[in-house]
This record gives sequence, structure tokens and C-alpha cells, in this order.
Amino acid sequence: MSGMMDVRSTTATGPTSAPPPKAAPAQVGQSLLRVDDLRVWFPITEGLIFERHIGDVRAVDGIDFEIRRGETLGLVGESGCGKSTTGRAIVRLYKPTTGSITFDGVDLAPLEGAALRRMRARMQMIFQDPYASLNPRMNVAGIVGEPLDIHSVGTKAERNERVRDLLATVGLNPDFAVRYPHEFSGGQRQRIGVARALALNPDLIVADEPISALDVSIQAQIINLLQRLQGEFGLTYLFIAHDLSVVRHISDRIAVMYLGRIVEVAPSRELNREPVHPYTVALLSAIPIPDPVVESRRRRIILKGDVPSPAAPPPGCRFHTRCWLRDRLGDPERCSTEEPVLRTMATGHDVACHFAEEVAGSAEQVQAVGRGAPTAPPAGSVSPSLGPDGTPRRDLGALPATPPVPPSAPPSVPSPGV
Amino acid sequence: MTTTTPPPAPAPTAAGAAGGVASVPLLSVRDLVVRFRTQDGTIYAVNGIDFDLAEGETLGIVGESGCGKSVTNLAIMRLLPKPAGRIERGRILLDGQDLVVLSESEIRAIRGRDVAMIFQDPMTSLNPVLTIEEQMVETIRAHRTTSKEEARARAIELLEMVGIPKPETRLKAFPHQFSGGMRQRVMIAMALALDPRLLIADEPTTALDVTIQAQILEILARLATESGTALILITHDLGVVAGMTKRINVMYAGFVVESATTPELFALPSHPYTIGLLHSIPRLDSDGDEDLIPIEGRPPDQRVEPVGCPFAPRCAWRIDDCWSDNPGLAAIDGRAAVVMTGPAATHRIACFNPPTHDEALAGRPLREGFRPAPPPGTLPEDTGFEGLGSEEALEALEPQGAEHSPLLPRDEALLDAGRDRGQYPGDADRDSHR
Repeated sequence: MSGMMDVRSTTATGPTSAPPPKAAPAQVGQSLLRVDDLRVWFPITEGLIFERHIGDVRAVDGIDFEIRRGETLGLVGESGCGKSTTGRAIVRLYKPTTGSITFDGVDLAPLEGAALRRMRARMQMIFQDPYASLNPRMNVAGIVGEPLDIHSVGTKAERNERVRDLLATVGLNPDFAVRYPHEFSGGQRQRIGVARALALNPDLIVADEPISALDVSIQAQIINLLQRLQGEFGLTYLFIAHDLSVVRHISDRIAVMYLGRIVEVAPSRELNREPVHPYTVALLSAIPIPDPVVESRRRRIILKGDVPSPAAPPPGCRFHTRCWLRDRLGDPERCSTEEPVLRTMATGHDVACHFAEEVAGSAEQVQAVGRGAPTAPPAGSVSPSLGPDGTPRRDLGALPATPPVPPSAPPSVPSPGV
Repeated sequence: MTTTTPPPAPAPTAAGAAGGVASVPLLSVRDLVVRFRTQDGTIYAVNGIDFDLAEGETLGIVGESGCGKSVTNLAIMRLLPKPAGRIERGRILLDGQDLVVLSESEIRAIRGRDVAMIFQDPMTSLNPVLTIEEQMVETIRAHRTTSKEEARARAIELLEMVGIPKPETRLKAFPHQFSGGMRQRVMIAMALALDPRLLIADEPTTALDVTIQAQILEILARLATESGTALILITHDLGVVAGMTKRINVMYAGFVVESATTPELFALPSHPYTIGLLHSIPRLDSDGDEDLIPIEGRPPDQRVEPVGCPFAPRCAWRIDDCWSDNPGLAAIDGRAAVVMTGPAATHRIACFNPPTHDEALAGRPLREGFRPAPPPGTLPEDTGFEGLGSEEALEALEPQGAEHSPLLPRDEALLDAGRDRGQYPGDADRDSHR
């Protein structure tokens, strides 16, 4: 009734037909993946025949990060920031322009052919769109079993057995193996995608917006499933999403991307409590919180304009064209001339901003998630116990167990399971 | 601020008088039923909903895809796809005038002038081969006798209002030359061109990034306040309505299941579905690693005529009555006089077995030995309640339940539920799009 960990389905899902080379069980906490100075540029060409190279879309432009075994790293940012490109470059769906991707000691960037295929078995991907990522002409057994076929794991009977195990593991009826994707709902399809990703017992799973296409009530099912599987199989996740509240929930650490660069990395809770990059603060403040009391005391930072084109990123700090902190500091020249590098603010907390110290402890930082002292409620807002005209609410008193919610009280429906 | 005893009969009462003038609400929807006749059979999209909207009020309509929130508003605009979509029953009174019975030319005069709408995807609602100027001038001149120059001046003024830089030059641009956020600003400018009294925004920010969403919501809130336009904001995001609207209707399967003022809905969420929604999203401001509690099962198949409470198959609080009767919206404190609009609007829910406040906080029933009532047709006459609640009994019974329950017509749902019983509250789901 309470937990989401469903241990029952671990049954026999162990590596019966142990697929490809699996490193000896390493310690949790060891580095599994290291990305150094990764760049993925897509060429822009002109002309039909000679395709002159006139520029590049710098989707990912020099990023470094590390994922430790068994941890979940969240990668957030807005559309076009390069987070999905990063994920795809890691599983080598894109070839990096420069940089190295060291997976368990092996640099993936220069690998080709059979060597790459062998490594790929150890990292799998879950895609955003459960409609587009499943082949409509294959049945579920074919989809989930395809990785096993490609890597020639076990006999046919063993593979079938493995598919049934996998379906059970992700909470689907094993008898569904003979059905086709169109017979499933969005959430069920995403489960099929998860089962496929698990087929080869990977070490790393790159989940690219795995829940954004799902209805709200279904999202929690998939989040819980992913967390349960991580516990059962010791998986390492790179969790890519635009929704910071979901990423905070599932990740141990979070990296925030803006226009092809990582601007801040920190443990989830710390990033949420004490963001020190002006962009992270704005991003946090822009996310609506389902609580009018909290909302009324937050101050939203409205960023100017749109994200610039990654084909021509602004000089200096890429965020300076929209930065609220730069405005407040009176346009320091440094922001538009010198590109900030990631530097350490606190243990495990890195930031790429010349003036990050100004953010720490600022009103903006405090108010971004509504922790601050109540600001004057905006004109016309309804306080929980008073009407807009200030008269006490008549009907509220008549209700049983109505907790009068003072503005400083904790959110009315706090975390479940309290 | 109008009061009515439960629909229809609008009648001023004490609360209405206290609010000032007891006037007719701007919009009054009564017993609205919308169905679609398709090759697959009838889609029961909206199943008898009532709500009012006062002049200048902001109302949020929250629900997941397929809950009827968009259809309700297409019905108000009389834009239901023809010939499949039909208003089968009910009235939509705008200033006392029933929009349902108007002719096509009469409703066209009202659209844009009195009621305007903003859609989720601005690219599909702007004409790609006309410049912004042509589209805006056309809209203005369709309803007002003004010269082209005056209309153009108005268009520039509107673009300025929504924060589009260099409006004179941007007027010459085509929709594809704008970014998503800018396009949505153009849509808002066009919607406000004729000073409508009611603005309906259908998921206006769902396709946008959060920082752009913040920009658009800020503009919407500012303009609605400045112009005194009443606003209906349709969204799946409880966070958006928490900060933007004064009152909220939560919809499920074509019914309004909970209706309250915004502060009260969040302070005292009372319908199991509302509670479920609040517990299935992680909150940005929570510190702990809270467990998310998903809503069991999947949304109902709308091709089946709803019987009983539409939420019963997914509800952890369901009792036997829920399978056979629809509770209907009623005040949570059982009062007879219901205030339909304004800050004193009555908190109403459609539930036979409302969760307590503690249960709302926990997200699940806390009563000793309480088990959700199994579907009808699965109960052997002489079985005691205890026996019924056991896992084994449920295991044995549930599959037949599927066939008998009108709300779970497909066996997958049931098989899935069986698979997932190890978890609380379970699993299985349905198509969805953001």
C-alpha cells in the first residue's frame, strides 16, 4: 500500500542469459561516465550541389561532467540548450565533433563498428515519444527482444523467456508480448520502451524526457517505475528533462544547461535551495508551484526575450543578453567579453558565472522557490482566509477541520507520505 | 457575484447582495452535454456541467487530456467540429443570451467581439501565408467600421501592449518569422483586439519553455486585470492556475468533479481526483524525497456512456454506491444555497465518500480496514466485507469485474491492474499528450 518498490517482480529477471560483457560489480560511487570538453556541432550548408559550409549549429559546445555508478544525474534546460544532443552523443547516436566520452575506462568518441556496438549494449536509451519510438509493425516481443537478437544473446527460447520477464518487471502482462504498439496506451508504451532499454542489462540508461508526453496522473507511475528499477538493478541514469521539479525529484545531482554549455552543477537539494547561477534562479522562479499561498509570496524573474541562436551564440557569457543580474550590476563589461568557466563554489557545486557570489543570499535566490518572507501580495490576490475586499470568508468557518493557512505556514498539501 | 440555488434558477440571495449588485453573471453554463458521433460510436465528451463566470473573474479549468475541458470551451465558442460534435443539451448564456440557439451569422458577430480564444499552438491558429498586419487588420475591420489606417494603428498599439519590440516593422512579418513565445504574444494581441468581455485561453503556454511561459502568463494576467476581461484558463498544470486564477473547476471524464476558489481548492482539496493530481507531481518547493502516489488505472473510455461516478475505477476511496450512481456536484458542507461565482463561491465536490483532510494530506485512505469497493457483479452474496478486501479475493474476482464494469471495457486495464497490485495504488494508463 505504501511503497513504490515492488520487489516481487525481481523474480528471475537476473541475467539468466547474461548478455554482453559486464564489468565486474564495481563499487557504487566510482565514476562510470566522464565527459570532457564534448562538442557536437551540426554543419549549416548552402547550395544544393557544392553544399558550401557556412556555419555550425553549436548544439553542445564544450561541456564536462561525470556520472558515478548508481547515481542519477539530471540534465535540465530549455528547448535548444543541447541537453538531448548531449544524451544522444553519449550513446553515440551522434558523433562528437571534439572531446572524449569515457565510459568505464573506454573512450567512446573514436569507436566504430563492432567495438562500438559492444559498448552500446551497456548503455541504453529511453525516448520521449512513446508513439514514435516503437516500430508499429513489430509486436512487443519483437521490440523488446530486438536488442537480444542484435547481440545474439541466448537461444530463441531463452530470449522469449527474457522478454516475458522484462514485461513483468516493468509492470506489464507477459502475455502482451504478442500485441502491437497501437494496442497500448501512452504510459504502457513507455513501459515497453523501458523494458527494451533493460533487455541487455545495461549499466547506464539515458532517459530523454521520458515522461513529458504523458498525462499528469501517469507521469508518477513511470517515475516510480524508473526509481524502483534503479534500486533493483543498480542502474545509473542520465535523466534529461525540461521540468526542474521532476528532475529534482529523481536526481542525485543536477546539471543545468544553457545554449550548449553547462552553467551550474550541484546536488539536487542544494541546487534547489541555493542556486547561484542567475539562469538557474530564473528557471526555478519560472516554474509554477501548485499552491496559491506559496505562489503569492514568490517573485518571478521574467527573462527578457528568447534564447539566442546556437549558430551564433553571444560573445562572453552566453546568458548575458538575458541576464537579470547583469542588469542589476550595471552591465559589467566582463560578462560580454570573457566567457566564464565552471568553477567550484562549494563542494560538488560548480557554477559558470563571474558574479555568482552576488546571487548567493540575494532576494531573488530566496524568493525563487517561495521560501522567503512573504512579499506584499499582488494587488487583487485573494489571501486564503480573506476575500479580496478583506472581509473574512464566510464559508470557510463552516467547514470542518479548515486549517487557517498563515502565509508562513508550510504548503497546505506537502509532500505525500508525510 | 451571483448566487443561485443549484442550477438552473438564478436567484439573488444574501451572499449575492453582500457582494454588491446581484446581477446576471457574464457567462452561465447549464447542464451542458456535448457528444461526438463518430465511426467508432458516440464519444461522451461533456456530460452535464454547470458553472458561472462573473464579469472580470478568472476561472481555471483543470484536467487531463480527454476530460472535456477544451470541448467545453469550443462549445462556448460554437466551434465544435462539424458534423461530429453536437451540443445535445443545455444552455450557454452570455449576458442572458443563449449561444446554443444562435444562427451561424449571429454567433460569428459574438466571436472575437465578446468572446475571444487563444489556442495552445499559435502556429496552427495563425494563417501562414498572410502577414500579421493583414490578419490583425482583417480581424478588427470584420467587427468594426474603421479605416485601414486606424485598424493598423490599433494593431501596433496591441503589439506594443504584449511586448513585441518594433511593432511597426514586425507587422510586416509572417507568422513563421516569430518564435513560439512571440507568436503566442501575437495571438494574445489579436484576441484582445476587440476588447472582448471573455477571453478563453486553452493551454496557452503548454508548447512553450518555462521562462517563456512565465513571460506569457505575466502578460495574460496583466492584460486581463487592466482591461477587466473575464478569463477562462484551461490547463493541465495545477501550478499555473494556482497563481493565475481566482476560482478553479477540476474536470474529469466530462464532469466537473470539484469546484472551489483557488485558495480553498489547494488548502482543502476534497475530491479524490484532485488529491490524486496533487500527489502525482513532485513539488519544486518540497525538500524531502517524497513518494509520488500515482492515480491508479487509466482515464475512462469515453466511448462508453458513463454510469456511476466516472472516477470510481481509479479511486482509492470508492464505496459500493460509486459504481452505480453519479454523486453530482454538491456543497461540501451540504448547504442548500450555492454561490456560483466570486470569492465566496461555494466549495463543491462530486463524491459520496469524501476524503478527510488528513487523508488529503496523506494522499490515501487512512481508515482502519477500509478497502475500495470492488466492481459490482463480483460480489458473492454471502461474502463478508473482510474476505472481500483480501488480495486473494480481489485477485479471483477482478477479471469478471472488467466485463461487468462499464468503465473498464477493455481487458488490458484489468490485467494490468492485476499485475500491478504490489504497488500502491497501481498502474495502467492511457494515451496522453501534453
